[in-house]
Amino acid sequence: MTETLPKNAAGLAGTLAGDPRFKEILDRLVAMSERDYYDPYRLFQWPETVVEDAYWMSPELMTVHGTAVGARLDEAQLRALSKWESVNFYSLNVHGIRELLTEIVARIHQPGYALTSEYFHHIIGEENEHMWFFATFCLKYAGKVYPDRAMAFAGPGIAEADTFLVFSRLLIFEELVDVFNQKMGNDQRLDPTIRKINAVHHQDESRHIAFGRQIVSLLHAELRRTLTVPQLAEIEAYLKRYLRASAESLCNPAAFRDAGIEEPYAARRETLADPAFEEFVARVLKRSTGFLAAEQIISDERIPAL
Amino acid sequence: MTDQSAAPAAKPDLVLTYLLARRPDLTSIDEDLDLIENRVIDSLGFVNFLYVLEEATGEPISLDEVSPEDFRTLRRIRERFLGGRPAA
Repeated sequence: MTETLPKNAAGLAGTLAGDPRFKEILDRLVAMSERDYYDPYRLFQWPETVVEDAYWMSPELMTVHGTAVGARLDEAQLRALSKWESVNFYSLNVHGIRELLTEIVARIHQPGYALTSEYFHHIIGEENEHMWFFATFCLKYAGKVYPDRAMAFAGPGIAEADTFLVFSRLLIFEELVDVFNQKMGNDQRLDPTIRKINAVHHQDESRHIAFGRQIVSLLHAELRRTLTVPQLAEIEAYLKRYLRASAESLCNPAAFRDAGIEEPYAARRETLADPAFEEFVARVLKRSTGFLAAEQIISDERIPAL
Repeated sequence: MTDQSAAPAAKPDLVLTYLLARRPDLTSIDEDLDLIENRVIDSLGFVNFLYVLEEATGEPISLDEVSPEDFRTLRRIRERFLGGRPAA
């Protein structure tokens, strides 16, 4: 979690209030959240099993898709890996939502956030529910949530950019997840329960992403006005590394191990070094890199290796 | 034909090799260099480093049982995870 709230609350409030469209968008998102409200605890049926001998995620979204590692796996191994990569994906959602909730709870009704707090209530409520249905899926059908592998060390060290970086990370996480949700929610090869959790999440996330894009855009416009060129370049480099790390987190040696693949660490290394994985990274991050480049937050859409 | 009588080559130190590859500006890493202060290890590169360490030790490392301090220097990493030896 970010160590401190913004020291310049008046400045933050001024930035957020500076564009009258932001308030209009917030009001519209609140109205949509109220209109689309549902009870997740009654929405899902949770059958005893999902179809085991089938793909659990769209094959094109598996990290080994098109790679030499993937080519060496037979159909049964690919299906097994699809199960554990999907569990890894939902586990990443659980841990990503924990970070999101922690950051939003730390800001709601704090100085500088008067404009956004009403919508924060909806985000907090909806994200708690998402975390519940992703965790329920993992525990019920796989018996576990993969542990969080992240450890926090110091970031870029530009205090004025802390709030921007928090909302940028949350937006990148949500956009990446949504690429998967959007495809898997409508992929007829997948079990209906799998399709449903992805489709429901996609519906809610479209609002959160709309909010995230607005606040990230406003906050970066202020940084462009106040920070030096080298500082902005450092922020860009950090975001590109975050994008890359996010994509690589989808490839987990524990998933290889659970799928019965030998030498899981070597398999992960080989996968990440495969040209097809470069294509995967560009493809699943395209929405994020396109947005960030259009907003002049990054100068190009290349995502170098870590 | 391979000379079977030759002494086996020393295995590379996986941890040191990985860290040097990440920081081509460094030619060596002192045992007591602060890896976190000097950004050799940071949040975004940590997971990949953790996997290198797990591969070197042969078992998963639970983050519930470690702290950032366990990764601050090469000496501490060797003591904490490798029994004081290089990660061969």
